[in-house]
Amino acid sequence: MQEYSSQAAYDRGEAVCVIGAGAAGLIAVKNLRENGFEVDCYERDTVLGGLWNPENQHSPLYPNTHLVTSRSQTEIPDFPMPDDWPDYPSASQMLDYLKRYASHFGLAEHIWYGSEISHVEPVEGSRFEVVVKPAAGSAARRLRYGAVIIATGHHWVPNLPSYPGQDGFRGTVLHSSQLKDGSRLRGKSVLVVGGGNSGIDIACEAAVNAAECVHSVRRGYWYLPKYLGGEPADYALARLRRRPSWLRGFLTDRLLKGHRELSARMGMEAPDHRHTDEEPIRNGRYLEHVGDGSIRRRPDVARFDGGEVAFTDGTTVRPDVVVLATGYKPKIACCPPGLLGVEGDSAHPKLLARMFSPRVETLAVAGLVEPGVGTLPIVHWQTHAISHWLHIRKGDPERAANFRQQVVSESAQYAVDSTGISPRHQLAVDAEEYLAGLGRIIDTLEQEPVK
Amino acid sequence: MSLQAWVRRTRVPEPASVRREIAVVEPADLLDVEAKDDPEASPVLCCTGESAGAAAFSALWLKRIAGSGRYAAAVSVRGQGNTPAAPGGVEARAHDLVQAAIGLPRQAVLVGHGAGAAWAALAAARYPAAALVLVAPHKLPKQPPKPVGDPKVLLAVDESDAQSKEAQAITDAYGVAPLTFPGVSGDVFTGPGAEGLLDTILSWLGRRD
Repeated sequence: MQEYSSQAAYDRGEAVCVIGAGAAGLIAVKNLRENGFEVDCYERDTVLGGLWNPENQHSPLYPNTHLVTSRSQTEIPDFPMPDDWPDYPSASQMLDYLKRYASHFGLAEHIWYGSEISHVEPVEGSRFEVVVKPAAGSAARRLRYGAVIIATGHHWVPNLPSYPGQDGFRGTVLHSSQLKDGSRLRGKSVLVVGGGNSGIDIACEAAVNAAECVHSVRRGYWYLPKYLGGEPADYALARLRRRPSWLRGFLTDRLLKGHRELSARMGMEAPDHRHTDEEPIRNGRYLEHVGDGSIRRRPDVARFDGGEVAFTDGTTVRPDVVVLATGYKPKIACCPPGLLGVEGDSAHPKLLARMFSPRVETLAVAGLVEPGVGTLPIVHWQTHAISHWLHIRKGDPERAANFRQQVVSESAQYAVDSTGISPRHQLAVDAEEYLAGLGRIIDTLEQEPVK
Repeated sequence: MSLQAWVRRTRVPEPASVRREIAVVEPADLLDVEAKDDPEASPVLCCTGESAGAAAFSALWLKRIAGSGRYAAAVSVRGQGNTPAAPGGVEARAHDLVQAAIGLPRQAVLVGHGAGAAWAALAAARYPAAALVLVAPHKLPKQPPKPVGDPKVLLAVDESDAQSKEAQAITDAYGVAPLTFPGVSGDVFTGPGAEGLLDTILSWLGRRD
C-alpha cells in the first residue's frame, strides 16, 4: 500500500510533467517552456545531465567515454556546441554542454531533484495523476498534470547475459557500467564481452592498460573509423545523402570499402545488415589494436569453468577481470506497460511515431530510439513536435484530431520489426526516414489552420 | 528553423572557427551610474555591418544597455574589428552571431544594425532569441526565415527610409509596424538621436505583452 501525505492530489492544471533531467528531459523542458507550458521536471538523482554526469549514482560512463558521433551531427539544433570544441567531444564536455543549455534557458528552476516518479495513471480522460516519491524518507505526493513526457532514456538497466558456470567463476565479473575507473584494468588479464561501441572502447582501453586483452564478439558489425575521406565519418556519410540515390550507393560503397576489407583481413565476420540498419561501431583505434595483436578476438563465450573461460571455438583464457559490455534493456518502470503499447511476449513499447502513447494522447516518450546518428537532435525534433501538438490541442481540438490520424499513418512505417539479434536492435530507426517522418508531422502542426 | 533547414545545414561544411572579439559590459561594471542588476532581464547581443564591429557599440550602446540592468555584449564577426577574416558569406556571419549568443549566460536579445540585421535575422532562425531587434536593416533576404521560439520583433528604420520598399517588405515579413527614428542609419551610434532611439528600444524590451 502506498502512503500519501494528503488524500487529494494537488492539481497542477495544464502543467506538463517531464520525467528525467538528462539530455532528453532538459530538451523537453526547454521546448515545452517555449510553447508556453508550465513544467515540472522530476529527476531521481541529485544532479542533472543523466548518463553524462559521473556524479549520477547510476551513470553508465566508462573510462574515457567520448561521443561516437561528431559535434555537428550531435549538437542540439538550436543551441550548437562551441565551434572550437573537438570533432568528438568527451563525456565531460558533453556534461558541460548540457549544464550550459540548462542555465542558458533557465531550466534548473523547473527541476525537482531526488524525486522519483513511482507511478503514472491516467485520470479524467486525458489527464494524469503521478506519484512522486522523494528519495529521503518523506511521504509520497500525488499531483495531477495535463500531460506527461517520459524522458528517462534507455541506458540504465544493464542487459546481463548468464553463462554456464558463471557463478563459480573465481575472477571478477563486471558490467561496463560498473567500470568507473580505467586503473582497474591495469596489469590484469582482461576479457571484454560484447561487440557494441562500449565493448570496443573498453577493449581499446584494455589494449593499452591491461597486461592482456581478449575480446569476445559473437557476430559481425560494421567497423567504421571516426574519420572517413578527411571528414568526420558520420558527416561524410550524411553528406552523401544529398546525392542522387544511384550515385549514393556507389559513393558510400567506395567510402566504406577500405574498412570493410580491413576488417575481413582481421578475420572478422562480415556484417549481415546494412551500415544504416544498426548503430555501426565507430572507433578508429580498434582495428589497429587487433592488427598489432594487443587485442585478441574470440567468438561467443560458451561457459565459465573455475578460473577459465571457454569460447565456442574451443579455445580458453584465464582472465582476472571479465567486463560484460552487453548493453542495456530499455525499461520504463513508472508507467503501466499497456499505456506504452507493451503487449504479449514483447517487452518493447510500441509507440506511435516512436514517441506517442497508443492509448492516451497526452502521454509521450522522448528519446526512445537508436537512430544511428546523434540522438540529441532527434529528441529536439520529437519534443518540438510533442509540445507543438499539446499547444494546438489546447486551442483547436479539431486540428489536433486530424493530426492524430497523420501520426498513426506515419507510425506504420516504424512498426517494431524485431530481428531478434540483440535487444537494442529493436530501438533502431533509419535516421533519414525517421527525420523525414518527423518533418511531415511538424509541417502539419505548423500549417496555419484553415479558416 | 525548420527541420529541413537543419538537415541541410548538417550536410554542408561548418564555417571555419575564428577567435571572435566580444565586448561585454555588465551592470556591475558601471561605477559612475547607479544600475540595478536585473537577473531576470535577457542579455543583449549587438552586431553591426560596419567594419568597426563590436567597437561601434562601446561609446554609447553597451554602457546604456548595462545601465538599464542588462548584460550588454557586442560581437565582431569574421573580418570586423579584431576578429580575423575567414571565408564565408552571410551564413558564416550568422554562425558567428549564434556562437557568440550561446556563450552568453542566458537567452539573449539579438540586435542587428545595417547589414548586421540580416545576420541577426538568420541567426534568429537558428537560435531562439529572447527578442529580435532590426535597426536600419540592410540587405535582408527577401523572405527572411521564420525566427525560432517565436520572439517578439522590433523594426527601427530612419525617417528617410520608412517608406522604402525594403522597409515595407520587412514590415510585411514580420508583421510588425516599423518604428522610425530621426537622422540617417550611420547616426545610431553617436548622433543626437542615438540616445533617444536606444531608450525606445530598451523600453520596448522591458515591456511585457
